[in-house]
This record gives sequence, structure tokens and C-alpha cells, in this order.
Amino acid sequence: MAQVRVGFLVDTSRCIGCRSCQVACKAWNHMDADKTVEKGSYENPTDLTPNLYNRIRFLESADDRGDVKWLFMNERCVHCGDAGCMKVCPAPGALHRTKDGIVVFDKEKCISCKYCVSACPFNIPRYGADDKVTKCHLCFDRVGAGRLPACAQACPTQTLQFGGRDALIAKAKVAGKKLYGENALEGLGVLYALEGKPEAYGLPADPSIPTSIFLWKDVVRPLGILGFWGSVAAVVVHYVTFGSRQLEEDGKGKGGDANE
Amino acid sequence: MSKYVERFNTAERVLHWFVAVSFLTLLLSGLGLYSRLFHGYFDLFGGGAGAILAHKYAGAVFFFSSLMLFFNHAKEMFTFDEDDRKWVGSLGGYLSKKPNHINSGKFNAGQKLFGIFMGIATLLLGVTGIINWIPESFPRGLVQFSLLLHGLLFVWFVMLMIVHVYLTTIGNPGTLEGMLYGNVRRIWARTHHPKWYKEIGGE
Repeated sequence: MAQVRVGFLVDTSRCIGCRSCQVACKAWNHMDADKTVEKGSYENPTDLTPNLYNRIRFLESADDRGDVKWLFMNERCVHCGDAGCMKVCPAPGALHRTKDGIVVFDKEKCISCKYCVSACPFNIPRYGADDKVTKCHLCFDRVGAGRLPACAQACPTQTLQFGGRDALIAKAKVAGKKLYGENALEGLGVLYALEGKPEAYGLPADPSIPTSIFLWKDVVRPLGILGFWGSVAAVVVHYVTFGSRQLEEDGKGKGGDANE
Repeated sequence: MSKYVERFNTAERVLHWFVAVSFLTLLLSGLGLYSRLFHGYFDLFGGGAGAILAHKYAGAVFFFSSLMLFFNHAKEMFTFDEDDRKWVGSLGGYLSKKPNHINSGKFNAGQKLFGIFMGIATLLLGVTGIINWIPESFPRGLVQFSLLLHGLLFVWFVMLMIVHVYLTTIGNPGTLEGMLYGNVRRIWARTHHPKWYKEIGGE
């Protein structure tokens, strides 16, 4: 493969929760602000929305002395190597992968079935008022033009490091970082260097395609096609072996064709 | 004496064909959702969004008409007698060339089981269909399971439909007439449903 798979290394130890990434993303993608409600946390908004492709999760806890401790995590589409959204999408091209490994969406082709919302291991895709899929597209337009994604460009602490995925992994390993997402789902495009367990950041410890979705698309779908042809074959075989059931004449007055 | 006896009245036949036509619409509009292999079927509805819309309307028609059909015959379907047990034991005689002499009523045991499956499947397809339609209103795990169940029931449904169409056409000549015109030949009634034929005054 000539093309290098690109991605992020999100080094959470460097994040200061400034949310420059959120703002830069909104600016580049021309997205309006969402009206939010104050909930006693600096976290804002408290969830991804159709107008918010990435955000900082604020995770508050108390340390040993009872002081507030914060964990920050950049939440966004992680561009799975084996992407659940792409697996279930029935509209060719609505969710597809660019040559450099970015999972992008095309609203023109989206048919609003919302299957991707259910199939995502990370609960990322959102539907807006136009009933079309949205999520982080890793600024594929900027990347294609040789520029950094807007969020990475704006990040003042190098928490968001953009580059070739293999190079990012090598660099993180040299620095002794433990990586989240190196192998799961055929490798995540967005790798996290976390300061604790994934669960502490609200990430699944062992991310995978949801079981029901796997059974639906990888078991029922192929077996169903087999079942269809099996039924057709069974019926044909029955017809040529046992044949159709003939109507039985009996002693009393003839019925059926003979009487016509 | 007329050569024919009435098997299904007009209302029953109309209801059956409502179920059949809405099922066919659901099948054609849903195939593209089942697998990208069948993406071409979306074109029948002017694209994927149109197919989804047709699927919702046809789904509503199918849900109510199929359940009505089920409840109209629920009492007959859930009544199994000794002859029905014989039918199940010999698989209706379908795996033999010899004529079977099972004394079935208006519906044989296979038809009863088919009807019960149809009723349950209709209910579950309807419920999972609504969940898949508005996934944001339900927990993610439930929607995921619902997508799986909808697909699984669809597969069973289509498989049984192939058998249903076979058995009511070339598999048992004379059967389709009952659903098209309402009447079947006496000899057909006597051959396939002797107990019923007696009940309605046949010799």
C-alpha cells in the first residue's frame, strides 16, 4: 500500500481541557453553537451533537486528600480499522474510507436508516435536523491538501498529534506510553495514551463490534442468503422426487377434471 | 350438486391479499437494507430513502392485516386434535409418495403451525420495526438486538414463504383456487381436508 494510514495520538497527560479543539472544529466545519445548560461542571457540551464532532470529556474524581482530580479525554470518531458503521451502512458511499484510512461520511448518499448509530462501538455518529449522519471526518479535506486537521492545528499542548499511524505508534512506544487502540478493531485511527484504565475515561476496555450487530451482519446475513437458496432447492427437489399431490377419486360420483 | 364448495369468503380473501401484497412490498423495499448485495432494489422506490418510506407504510399495512388474519383464525390454529398429531408425526405425508389419509379439519397441523408462526413473527417484526425506526428513543443494546431479531425473523419468514407458495400452487394443485375465487373442488376438499368436508355437509 502506497498510502500511509493517518491518525491521531491523543496524549491525555498533556491535555489541559482548554477545548480549543472543539472550537477550531466548529469554525472549520461551519457549525453553530449548541445551547447548553449549566450542570456544575466545566464540561460543555456534555455529549457529542450533530454540531459537535469532537469534545473534551471532563472526568472529575477526588484524590487521596480529597482534592479534585481531573481527567481529560478528547471524544470523537476513532476511525476504526474494522468500522461498525461501515459494516452496517446499506447505502454505498454514505460511509466510506479514504485512501489514508479516514472514515468519512457523505450526506448526499445517506438514506437516514441510523444503523451506524447502533453499530458504533463508541456511540459516536449523530443525526441532525436534516436526518443525515454526522461525525468527525478527521478534516479529510485539509489532510488531503497537506494540512493538519483543524483540532490538531489549534491544540496548544500537542495533546492531539496528527501523522502517519505507524510513526505515531513508534514514537509513543519510545516515550514509554501505553497505547489504547493499537490492535482493537483492526487498529483505531485515533490512539490514546491514557493515564489510567480506559474505563476511567469512559472508554470500553475491550472495544469490539456490538455482539448483536456482529451476529446480524456476519452470521444472519450470509446464512440467510444460504437459507433462501436452501428453501428454493428443497422445494424443487421435493417437486421432482415426491411430486405434487394428486387429488383422490373415490367410489362415489366422480369429481374433478373428469366431470368437466 | 355444485362441483365446488366455498373455502374462503370474500372478506377472508381480500385480507389475505392485503397481507401478501404488503409483504411483497416489504420484501422488495427491505432487501437493500438487508445487504448491500441487493442495493439495486432501492431503485424500485427511487432510492434508499424512498424504500425506507415504503417499508414503513407497507409495514403498517402488513402489521395490522396480518394480525387480523391471525386473530380471525386464532381459535382454529390453537386447537390440535389427535389427527393433527398424526399429521405432525408423518410430516403431513410430504416425505412419501403414497397418498396420505390423515383426517384433517379445515386447516391441517402444518397450516396451523404456519399460522401461529406468522402471528408471532408479525408481532415481533412490528415491534422491532418500530424500535429500528426510532432508535434514539430506546437503549442502544435493545436497538442492536432488535436489528438482529428483525433480520433473523425476516430470513425465517422468507424461507417459510417459499414453502407456502410451493405448497399452495404446484405442490398441491387446486389449492390456489380457494384463495383466488373462494371455491375449491369437492374432490380437493375430500382429499386434503376430509373432516372439514364432512362438517360442511360433503359426503
